[in-house]
Amino acid sequence: MAAIGVQPLEALDRRAGGRRFFRRPSLGRSALARHEAKWGLIFLAPWIFGFFAFTLIPIIASLIFSLTNLSLEQTQPLRFVGLDNFVRMLGDHTTWDSLAVTFRFAAFNLPIAIVVPFVVALVLNSRYLRGTGLFRTLFFLPYVIPFVSGVLAWQGMLNLETGWVNEFLRMIGVQNPPNWLQDTTLIYPSLAFIGLWGIGAGVIVNLAGLKGIPTELYDAARIDGAGWWASLRNVTLPMMSPVIFYSLILGIVDVLQYFLVPLVLYNGTGEPGGSTLFFNLLLYKQAFNFQNYAYGATLAWLLFAITLAITLIVFRTSRRWVYYAGER
Amino acid sequence: MTARLFRPGVLLATFALVATACGGSNAPPSPSGAASSPSAVAREASVGPATVPPGGPVEIRWYCCLGGGEAPEQKAVEDKVVADFNAAHPNIHLTFEVVTYDQANGQLATELQSGNPPDIVGPVGIGGANAFHGKWLDLAPLIQKTNYDLSGFPSNVVDIYKLDEGQVGIPFAIYPSALFYRKGLFEEANLDEPPHKYGDKYTLDGQPLDWNYDTIRQVAKRLTVDKNNKDATQGGFDPKNIRQWGLELQRDDLRGLGAYFGSGSLVAADGKTAQIPNDWAAGWKFYYQSIWTDHISLTGPQFESKDINPEDYPFFAGNVAMSENFLWSTYGVGKLDDWDLAAVPSFNGRVTAAFNADTFRILKTTKHPDEAFEVLQYLLGDAAPDLLKAYGGFPARTAEQAAGIEALQSQFKNQVDWQVAVDGIQYADNPNFEAPMPAYNESLGLVGSGGKYLTEFGNKPGLDMDTEINKLRSDLQAIFDKAS
Repeated sequence: MAAIGVQPLEALDRRAGGRRFFRRPSLGRSALARHEAKWGLIFLAPWIFGFFAFTLIPIIASLIFSLTNLSLEQTQPLRFVGLDNFVRMLGDHTTWDSLAVTFRFAAFNLPIAIVVPFVVALVLNSRYLRGTGLFRTLFFLPYVIPFVSGVLAWQGMLNLETGWVNEFLRMIGVQNPPNWLQDTTLIYPSLAFIGLWGIGAGVIVNLAGLKGIPTELYDAARIDGAGWWASLRNVTLPMMSPVIFYSLILGIVDVLQYFLVPLVLYNGTGEPGGSTLFFNLLLYKQAFNFQNYAYGATLAWLLFAITLAITLIVFRTSRRWVYYAGER
Repeated sequence: MTARLFRPGVLLATFALVATACGGSNAPPSPSGAASSPSAVAREASVGPATVPPGGPVEIRWYCCLGGGEAPEQKAVEDKVVADFNAAHPNIHLTFEVVTYDQANGQLATELQSGNPPDIVGPVGIGGANAFHGKWLDLAPLIQKTNYDLSGFPSNVVDIYKLDEGQVGIPFAIYPSALFYRKGLFEEANLDEPPHKYGDKYTLDGQPLDWNYDTIRQVAKRLTVDKNNKDATQGGFDPKNIRQWGLELQRDDLRGLGAYFGSGSLVAADGKTAQIPNDWAAGWKFYYQSIWTDHISLTGPQFESKDINPEDYPFFAGNVAMSENFLWSTYGVGKLDDWDLAAVPSFNGRVTAAFNADTFRILKTTKHPDEAFEVLQYLLGDAAPDLLKAYGGFPARTAEQAAGIEALQSQFKNQVDWQVAVDGIQYADNPNFEAPMPAYNESLGLVGSGGKYLTEFGNKPGLDMDTEINKLRSDLQAIFDKAS
């Protein structure tokens, strides 16, 4: 019997009693096709409109803005300034300082943001853990609370004078507990700690990945004498590599756009000592606080270029370390 | 229902849903719960004139709320004011536009840039208006043309609105400064209460002393108490466990903090050179010393702690004995039953009481200055009592201040010496601390509420203040240079 894949379409049609299984798109071919295509477009129209109005046109507009002197505070008339904003941006030490802040924090936070949800998911996936449903709910629960509320709650908990963390440290004999949110050496650990509040979604994604690993692979590994560590290294990690890759890409994009926590905690001042003046915060302040739309748009394009470049590099490396079971 | 009829129905419903989902702006809904579009609100609020003159009435747009005025109960008053005006002025059709405070600056800037500005803006504070420096109409020719009487206002307050742009405002609601204090805490510490009359001495340990910042520091130390009930002058005082602080300075804005020590501006007369007034530098040093050396004021983390300072102003929570603040801060003292007002201390023999004020202004771009001024006169005149009550403002007009005091006193059980606040008007700072600066919004990021330097002063002990002040000047100059 010939394989289905090599049978002509007509043969398949005959088996289906003349009803076609496979049909090439035939836009505009017949009255019915035209009718369906028309209604398809009509139903797509809201999305297409939304995409143009709220995504594509603003993207193009921001590129145009970056080539002008547009500012709501401006006293000069609007004019085309070429690449002046880009030159100014590259010559502005604040640009480089804020990029350095962003990369320093990324180097610290990204591994935590990827490893911790993975480890938590491993624990929640363990057959030895009782009450997994409860734990899953507890880990996911903070994710559904508005993040700003969470940040404010953490601000209170990490307060030097009355925060619960320092109250606890004093209780166990630490005379001078640290000023978590104002000490430049502790600020990134504190921010990463606050970030862990919202790992619920990451845990769920990792857990779904873990649940998808065929148990036969673990059985086979066990028969071959593999222990927990060998199973993790040789089965779990390769099978989870697409999920880890996904988390890494999202993590990179998230950390390059890191913004909300320093805005809420420090009102966007960059305190302590400029250590929280993240690039995206600088962009926001320039565009919306200082109303320098042209310069803000220029910064946005730099952020886009950096994010794209890093993402492409990571995609390029993924061929070497991401394993897709379905791939040949 | 046939498919022919059903499909367009589904389509319409889909469009309606998507339009609803996509149509929202970032602006919060208007307090009234009505449509968020300001113009929609305005049209709803306005009432047509009784008789329309040939050619139709002149349209005047009143833009709110760069300085409050968006609360539902305030809007009800504003709507009535608009309706009353329209009913009595067939030549003008006044419309009212509400944009909530957090969006108001950006939206007004956008309207100005897009060539669709309103005519009248307010209520707006001095700082809020100076973010739009150069855009306001000089009212002097209209004042002269209409013989508008300014003699009813304190002349020094009228002068605050005299800028390089001209007479850009007429006083409406004012908020002079005073020293808020708790009588009970003075009694507990066996101290005389601070003087209520400007120029009076303070008696400490039987010695009459000038009421200045050296004296207030000494008094504040006596009123700063740790958990073992030792005050800040006693041996064994534990600065890490303070339960009551002696003095809280105004820390919303470095400029305001400095203005209690003398009037000044961060911009030199040339309009582009950054400067730090000597009095302000002295005030900032006093503030820093109060926190880290004398321990009479809260540190940054203490100020940020919701346990110590649940209502953003520590005096409101009752654990601060004295606090310099504006008259608008009476909104938060209702829980205390022993508070009163005293004179602001002098610095270098001169009293300066930082001053806040709100009014309505006309934009230079208005096509109808005469009609806009007619509306302005109405807002500052016939409508003023209702609007002042709605905004909680103290009347700038001297003749109305007695009624203003009565209205304020009716909110409290304890008798307050309001005359102190009235006397404070004569010591208002001019130039006002919120005077224009180049790149106002960006400059404000350094010195304004939650600004970089205020945060640093409150959080970092051991700073060399001279170095910090020089750094601030350099940072400001860099912003000014960019703006020019």
